[in-house]
Amino acid sequence: MTLWFVRGIRRGVVTTRYPARPDETARYLPTPPAFRPGTLTREIADGLAAVCPGRALRRDGGVLVYDVGACTACGRCAAEAPHAVTGSGEFELATTDRSVLIKRIPLRGEAL
Amino acid sequence: MTAEELRAAIARQFGRSLHIRTLDTGSCAVCEQEIRLLAAPHYDLHRLGFFFTPAPRHADLLLVTGPMIRAFEVAARKTYDAMPGPKVVVATGACALGGVYPEDPFTHGTVDSVLPVDVWIPGCPPGPLALLHGLGVAVGRLAEKVRDLPFTAPSYPERDGGDS
Amino acid sequence: MTSLYFLYAAGAAWLAAMLTSLLAARTVGGLRACCALSALGGAAAAVGGGWSLLYGDTPVVSPGGATLTGGPLQLQATSLAGVFTALLGVVAVAIALYAPRYHQPSTGTSLYLAACNLALLACLAVLAAGGMVTFLIAWETMSLACYLLILRHPRSAPVARGAFWFLALSEAGFLLVVAAFVMLSSKTGATSLALIAARAASVPGGWRAAAYLLALIGFGFKAGLVPLHVWLPEAHPVAPADGSAFLSGVVVKMGVYGIALFAFRLAPPDGAWPGLVTMGAGAVTAAIGILYAMAERDIKRFLAYSTIENAGIIVTAFGAAMIFRAYDQRALWAFLLIAGIYHVANHGCYKTLLFLEAGVVEHATGTRDMDRLGGLIHRLPRSAVIAFAGTLGIAALPPLNGFVSEWLIFQGLFQGFRTGSHLTGILIVLAAGTLGLTGGLAVYAFVRGFGIPYLGMPRTRSAAGASEKEQPVLGPGLLAVLCVALAVGAPVMLFALARAAHTITGVTLGPLLLPGKLTVLPAHADFAAFSPTYLAVFLVCALAVPLLIYLAGRPRARSVQVPVWDGGIVSFKPRMQYSAMTFSAPTRVTFDALYRPSVSVTRPSDDDPAGRSGPVHYEAQVTPVFWRYLYRPAVRALEWLADLVRPVQSGDVNLYLLYVFAVILLAYLLGAV
Repeated sequence: MTLWFVRGIRRGVVTTRYPARPDETARYLPTPPAFRPGTLTREIADGLAAVCPGRALRRDGGVLVYDVGACTACGRCAAEAPHAVTGSGEFELATTDRSVLIKRIPLRGEAL
Repeated sequence: MTAEELRAAIARQFGRSLHIRTLDTGSCAVCEQEIRLLAAPHYDLHRLGFFFTPAPRHADLLLVTGPMIRAFEVAARKTYDAMPGPKVVVATGACALGGVYPEDPFTHGTVDSVLPVDVWIPGCPPGPLALLHGLGVAVGRLAEKVRDLPFTAPSYPERDGGDS
Repeated sequence: MTSLYFLYAAGAAWLAAMLTSLLAARTVGGLRACCALSALGGAAAAVGGGWSLLYGDTPVVSPGGATLTGGPLQLQATSLAGVFTALLGVVAVAIALYAPRYHQPSTGTSLYLAACNLALLACLAVLAAGGMVTFLIAWETMSLACYLLILRHPRSAPVARGAFWFLALSEAGFLLVVAAFVMLSSKTGATSLALIAARAASVPGGWRAAAYLLALIGFGFKAGLVPLHVWLPEAHPVAPADGSAFLSGVVVKMGVYGIALFAFRLAPPDGAWPGLVTMGAGAVTAAIGILYAMAERDIKRFLAYSTIENAGIIVTAFGAAMIFRAYDQRALWAFLLIAGIYHVANHGCYKTLLFLEAGVVEHATGTRDMDRLGGLIHRLPRSAVIAFAGTLGIAALPPLNGFVSEWLIFQGLFQGFRTGSHLTGILIVLAAGTLGLTGGLAVYAFVRGFGIPYLGMPRTRSAAGASEKEQPVLGPGLLAVLCVALAVGAPVMLFALARAAHTITGVTLGPLLLPGKLTVLPAHADFAAFSPTYLAVFLVCALAVPLLIYLAGRPRARSVQVPVWDGGIVSFKPRMQYSAMTFSAPTRVTFDALYRPSVSVTRPSDDDPAGRSGPVHYEAQVTPVFWRYLYRPAVRALEWLADLVRPVQSGDVNLYLLYVFAVILLAYLLGAV
């Protein structure tokens, strides 16, 4: 009992201060990807849509429709086209509006 | 809403006590593990005034995971009906948001088909920090609902509840 | 004398009702006429009882110098019998209002109603008896009439068994009662009860104690003291509902009246120990009664055991009153006497009500088994409300009458320290503790007794099909109103009872009981105080507050009606509800040593070599302790004795002639000496 007490005093408070202050461990979290619009072509977009297991990516004409809500952060799209996909680092994604989570990313060279 | 305003809003609206009822509509239970981790010392949602309750009668917030399998529809509806207003439904995880499972004879695919969802938390699974952020958004939404009730006077500045 | 005239009127009305029933009750009109006469008699008896309560004893009267076999017919309307007579009248009115809709006109009904009215008349004669002979003959007539009452459907085996055991135990008690009366009468040289009471000092202490003990056991058979109670759960379920109501409401009280007669009016015994014995017997009866009630599924058996419990409470109060008199605490003596008599009146009201409602349920659904009922509050709404009033009363919940009388008894028992003797004080506290246990168990038992049949979902189709058409409502409804009146009007009742106590005990309780208009004190001003009227008013107002909040908030906050939260089950089946036995399971497990249930579980996989599963059969039975360890050995001893004596009745005429010769010889010898 004393040992636990002493160890606890030495270690200090382990509870995170989030949401009052940012959490240091947040940078290690797996997060959904972000797409670089300038690197995406139709072919790359179709390849990404084919490889996504969660049906979060599909190509709608000249736009890559990316549903953040359906993404499971598996990383296959990053493996498929590493130059086009980066980690977003965002985890504060909760929203009251579902449509905010559906991002339309214009493909390179397409008319808007 | 900033963190300070969040804490103040919870304190004001619910007297440091907002009760969460979790509902598993057919998930793989990893979202449940993340939710359970919220009560652990590192994240400790009790310091923010959230509590888990098994009784929907005592709950303010329904935290739904899973793709809403059809076999669970009646129970989900009954749970939602048993909660007294004002209440929010928070759909958590890629399954509940419509990803992973399409609509087929066994699942609805998304929680929105059966329950009116107020807040969406994406992630597979959403980590505890994302869940805390989502719960904060839900509190804001709940504050809006309380403000819109016909017999409460607004006691806090107007603010739209969206993600920060 | 006025009270006696009312009793004459009641007796005449019941005699007329009996004749009408024998002659005309095969038709609907005759049935109604008989019941109307019975109700008139009841009203007269109620008024007469109240009158004697307020205005004291009448002188002993021998109307027309009539004589019965063995002695003169002597009548006297006394204060002690006042409440019992009033209760008799009220129960008679309730039964008379109930009977036309409950019974079909037939030969059986006409005989039954004749027996019923004869029983009423006999009870009246017991209560108005001024002499020993009158009392005993009326008592025996009452027993026989009740026997005929129970035998409404004589061809059924349980009915025959119930009636037989009622009669057998009545006769056993009667022997002891006769012995007690004869002891007192021989020592005082009088047969008039008033003379016996006046000459009580000439009876030696030992004889008085012996007579009291004989009376306690003898009347205890009728009152249902454990272990003399076994006829109650056998006879009550098989009698018709109004017959059971009469048995529980009045006949059991006759036993209590007999105990009160010997304890307070005729030669009361000296010392504290008779009171301690009585109090102990009452407390044990109360606890055992309610514990066995928890294990019953049959509504009427359940109510019968509850009657045993309440009789125990009343006898406890009387015993404690005797103890206080022995220690010269005269105010508490009178107070507990009043409390016991008040409980007699209250229990008569709500127990009769509950039995009548049990009859309504049995007629509407065809079963008395609680586990086959359910949801009756929607199908029999008026009966449910009336039964709820009776349940509140018997569970002793404020503001109804059961609470008032039990509060009085408890407050009397709590003042046991005033006796000054440590041992007696501890024993009184133990008795109070036992009564507390029974009170708690009674609430539990009656939540079960009302909740399982009336609330929830119907468990069988017969329960779902119950209908309130043609069911009697007026009789039980009158009793429900009376329950409320006895509660709210407790000060009036206590005022009348205080007058009666003054006549019986000579103690003026007035300022120690009712100092103001509406407050009640337990015989001492420094102990406690309570106002039943204010409590009732307060509770009603307290219930009005949330109602007002709801009405004020309603336009602005609409309420949403959703089904009860059942855990999200897709379809809720009636079998998922509590059953009567599972609801009482915690008590049965706790008091396992008393019930000693024999449980048998058979699974099909036990016999099947392949181990296939199927429906499991579970059977649990409470060990009938008193039958197995008291009555069956007694019956076997009796049979052994009879076998021993059988050779005397050999059938040989020559032997019989020898007997005649021997007896004549003996008579001559004795005459010569």
